[in-house]
Formats: sequence, structure tokens, C-alpha cells
Amino acid sequence: MRILVVEDDEIAAEYVRKGLMEAGHVVDLAGDGELGLEMAKAADYDALVLDRMLPKRDGLSMLAAMREDGDATPVLILSALGEVDHRVEGLRAGGDDYLAKPYSFAELLARVEAIGRRSDPTAAVTKLKVGDLEMDLLARTVSRGEENILLQPREFRLLECLMRNAGRVVTRTMLLEKVWDYHFDPQTNVIDVHISRLRSKIDKGFETQLLHTVRGAGYRLQT
Amino acid sequence: MLEPLLRIYRSTVFRLSIIAAALFVASSFVVLGYIYYATVTTRVNAIDAELETELSEFEDIFKSGGANAVNQIAITRILSPSSPNLYLFQNGVNPATSNLEGDPITDTPRGPNETIQFIFEVRNSKTGLGSGVYHRARGRYQVLAPTTVIFVGRDVELIVTAAERVQRALLIAMLIAGTLGIISGAYVSSRFARRIEKFNKLATDIQGGDFKRRAPVTNSGDELDDLARHLNGMLDHIDRLMSAMRYAGDSIAHDLRSPLTRLRTSLEATATQVKDPQARDALFDAADNANELLGTFESVLRIARLEAGDRRELLVNVDPKQLIDDLAELYEPSCEEVGLSFQSNIEGGHMIAADRGLLSQAVSNLLENAIKYTPEGGQIHLNLRKAKSGRVEISVSDDGPGIPAEQRQRVKERFVRLEQSRSLPGTGLGLSLVQAVADLHRANFELSESDIADSGLKAKLIFPRVKK
Repeated sequence: MRILVVEDDEIAAEYVRKGLMEAGHVVDLAGDGELGLEMAKAADYDALVLDRMLPKRDGLSMLAAMREDGDATPVLILSALGEVDHRVEGLRAGGDDYLAKPYSFAELLARVEAIGRRSDPTAAVTKLKVGDLEMDLLARTVSRGEENILLQPREFRLLECLMRNAGRVVTRTMLLEKVWDYHFDPQTNVIDVHISRLRSKIDKGFETQLLHTVRGAGYRLQT
Repeated sequence: MLEPLLRIYRSTVFRLSIIAAALFVASSFVVLGYIYYATVTTRVNAIDAELETELSEFEDIFKSGGANAVNQIAITRILSPSSPNLYLFQNGVNPATSNLEGDPITDTPRGPNETIQFIFEVRNSKTGLGSGVYHRARGRYQVLAPTTVIFVGRDVELIVTAAERVQRALLIAMLIAGTLGIISGAYVSSRFARRIEKFNKLATDIQGGDFKRRAPVTNSGDELDDLARHLNGMLDHIDRLMSAMRYAGDSIAHDLRSPLTRLRTSLEATATQVKDPQARDALFDAADNANELLGTFESVLRIARLEAGDRRELLVNVDPKQLIDDLAELYEPSCEEVGLSFQSNIEGGHMIAADRGLLSQAVSNLLENAIKYTPEGGQIHLNLRKAKSGRVEISVSDDGPGIPAEQRQRVKERFVRLEQSRSLPGTGLGLSLVQAVADLHRANFELSESDIADSGLKAKLIFPRVKK
């Protein structure tokens, strides 16, 4: 993906750039809101990482200007103000996702890849397929190979979220947000327990494991 | 019905106006008393003096002319149409000379030179007989010789009637003054109480964190307006300080968390590149530690921001059933994983004013605490039910070791951890955060004995009734 990172903290921006490049993305940097807006207009990016606190023009006003122009590039808003009201403000201003500092790079990467143009999680598909694991979104059934797998409604949503992001890391916080619609930080491994239950249903007894744990990041479903 | 009356009675202004009314009644009493004295008492005294003079005249006549002369004069005066007085002359020998039917001297026993008040039948001026009309009168007598007594009296009916009218007027005036005083007191105090009520509402709202509220200024320029302006000035100042604090807090968050984040990011980035599994684990552990540090820092800032109490606008009216159901579903597997039995009893249809994110954070902290401290084989209950007087209670009970009663308040403070829990992971911020969330929701956060076992803890959040 081609990603524009608008961040005034040069060191943080450099880290993000390096990390995203290592993950195989093309990254441009902008140090303030004015420059960021110009660059966003000039080139066609697949995703934007936008800090809220910027010199010259703050992140939300830059985003508003983009959206007014009809630019629908997915935007991930970054902010030190990680409170709920700021999250709501950010999403209302046209952001696609919101990440509070301090974030881990893995979280940032997972979220940028999830909102990026090349992956449209809302695309109208009726069937998802990862390896021999298949999900029918209309019939609400899951099967692997010849075997039908019975899932609880929440397990179904959990698996759906992982399958829609197949091949990409999905973090615990993302799962909590997307599957449970919660915006809070559990102090314990509450998500891991649900994952291990799901894993025992879809992977147990099969030769290839599909659901992988990515240390320091989250989970990834891939063949 | 009784409550507003009681409130009026308790109000300072009402009490002051009662005192004012009482003072007014007392001063009108003094004024009217003086009028009474000036019109009635002085006239009566003048009459008494006239009677006295006449008696001494008779005494002189008796000394110079004897009983017959006195009798003559008495008869002359009785017959004179211009004489206003009543006479009674007795000398023990002849029948009494009198224009009175009775004998006030024997009817009303008094000493000589004392005023006798009596009632007599008024004679018809044409026939000279009794008219059936009785008047009040006063008179005195003088003993001239052992059996010779002269009595002089005066009809005072008109004066006494006038005096009675004045008395009645006095009483009615005081009653009217008193009633008007109480009514106007109640009116003024209820007006005043309404304005004071606005100040009280303001104070409550500000305590709840609504720092945008200001006291009403009526532009009447009275003391309450002065008070309102001063209060508003003070609130503006507090508001400025709060914004400065928030700004400082946000800046610290922005400035300090960024380097910490970079530290963690670089640790993680390096970890993913390192091939040596040992070095890799060490780097990930270091990243985890940095993460924990950030988490603690985050929690402290979060509690501080919640305690600053500027988030009331986040609250919306919701039925928490769905949210609590979801939390039960989220945490049940975690309980089973560590060998705890989990039960929930979640009633629907109760409204509270809450923020979803904060409420779920608070309840999840309580659940995670219960899971952490309850030993294997124990049980945890999550309940949502109606409490007294329309309030709503969300509670988490366990049968773990519990918290000694004297420590229950202390554990809600920041960084407080009990001796026996030091070996377990945690920052001592979980319950402080719950307390801060409860305060924001104006809910009570209470820790008590468990209601499901002999030992254990019950943590409950009691939310106030939602105003429809």
C-alpha cells in the first residue's frame, strides 16, 4: 500500500515509516497539516496515518478539508488524547479508525492494513475462504474440509473478523472493538481465552494450523 | 403538600419577615395605645377631677349650710337640664334625693374618694321615668356626717363605647398587620428561595463537573446579583485553571508518552528482526515491561481526567442489560479457564445515565479482580437489579478471601495494594478507576461482605434514578 504519515514528531514518524516499509508498504512523511493536505491532494494514497496535534493545521481540520474535497482515502487518526470523547470526535470528523498514543507499532500496522483501500472489510461478499476453512455469511455456517463446525454467535463473529482480515494481524484491542464493540482495556487475557476456544473448534484435529498467535501483536488467520 | 410549606418556614427570609411582622404589630400596639391614652384615659381623668371638685363644693356647702343646703343644691342640679351629673344624697332621715334608681354606694362597695364604676337605667327626659336603656357611669361619694352621704356620678357610656371601638380597632389592626406580614413574608421568601435554589442547583452541577454553568444575574443590582457576579468570576477563574491543568496534562501525556512509545516500538521492531530466539524473547519482555509502564501511566492520567469531572456530557440514558450481558459472555470463559463457576442474574428494563466505555471498563475491572483473587473452585456472581427508590445496582460477588472491613475504603485509593495481594500482578489502580468512574456517574461504589458465601467480597455500583 502507499501510505502517507502526517506526524510532527520526526523520530516517531521515522519509526512508523521504517516499520511500515519493513511490512512492505510505500511511505511518505509530512511534518505539518498544511504540507500533509497538499501531499494528500497531489497523490493517490491507499491510507493516511494522521496525528491530531500538528503545527500549522491540526489533524481534524486537515481531515475535514480532505473530506470536503471529496477525498475518501481511509484515515487512521493518532492522538495522545486517547479518551472516548476524542475518539468519537475523530470518527465524526471523518476518520476511519482511531488509535490512542501510546500505541504499539503492531497495533498501528494492523489497523492501517485493516482500513487500507486494498482491503475493504465491508465489501458485499457472501462467502469467506481461508485454506479449506469456509464461512457462509448468509447461511451462518462454517465448515473445514468435509467437516461442519458449530460455532456460538460470538465465535462466529470472531472468526468472521479474522477471516475478513486473513493474512493480516488482528490485535486483541481490534477484536474487542469489532467483535464486542467495547472500547476499554482489559487487564487480563480475556480475548485469548475466546481465541483458544475458537482454535480448538477450527484447528483441533487438522494437520495445518490456521489460527496463529503473533507475539507482541495479536492473531493472524492464514494458511 | 407539607414539604414546600416546611421549606418556606425554614427559610431565613421567611423568619426575618415574621420578626418584622411581629415588630410591626408591637409598634402599632404602642402607637394605638398612645392614641387610646390621649383620647380615652385623659378624658376619664378629667371627669374624675370634675367629680372631685363638685364633691368638695358640697363639702363646703355642708359646712356652711348643713344637710338641707346640700339637699337643696342637689335637687336644683338634678332638675337643671344642663347638668350632666347623677346625684344621690342621703342623710338617714328623709328619703334619698336622687336621679338614680339604685344605690351605687351599697351596690359597689368602695371607700370614699374611690371611683365607682356602675350601670344605671337612663331616665326618659320627658316622663322622668326609666327608659329601659342602661348606660355605664362612674362616680364618687363623700361622707359629710355619720349618716349623711353625697354621691356624684357621670354617664360615661359614650366615652367607654368609643374606647371599646378603639380597642377593637387596635386588635383588628394587629391581626391584619400580622397576617399581612406572614403572607408577604411567605411571598418574599418563596421568591428569594427560588433564586437561592438556582444557586444550589448551580453548586450541585459544578460539583458534578459541569463547569460551564453560571449563576443567573437578574440585573436588578441587588446583593444576590453581586453574589452571582462574584461566583461567576470565581467559576471563570476555576474554569481557566482547569483548562490550564487539562492542557498541561495533555501536554505531559503527549510529551512523555511519545518517547516511551518510541522505546517500546523500537524494542518490538528489533525483536521481530532478531533471529536468536533468546535475544528475541528478552526484547519482547522488555517491550512488555515498557508496555506495562505505559499502561500504568495511562491509567493515572485517565483517573486524573475522570476526577477532574469534566465528562458529564458523555452520559446517555441506557438500559445496561445488553452491556452487562455482553460482559458476562466475555468473561465467562476466563472464569472457566481458571476453574471458577460463573453465574449472572441480569434484569432488563432499568435505565441509568452512563457512558458505555467507562461503565464496561469499571465492571470489567471488578470482574477481573474477582477472577484474580478467587481461588480455584470458587464462584463469581454478576448481577444487575433494581435497588431501592428507583436506583439500579450492578454487583460482582465472589467467595474469595474478601477485604477486611477496615481496609475497604483504603483499597479505593491510588496505588494501594493489600499485603496479601502484592505477589499477584497489578498496579493498585483498578479500584481507583472504578471509584472515579462511579463518581462521574454519581453512582455509589461500595465494597461489602459477600452475599454468596461466608467469606468473599461484594463490590457494587449503585446508580441514581434517571430523571425522565
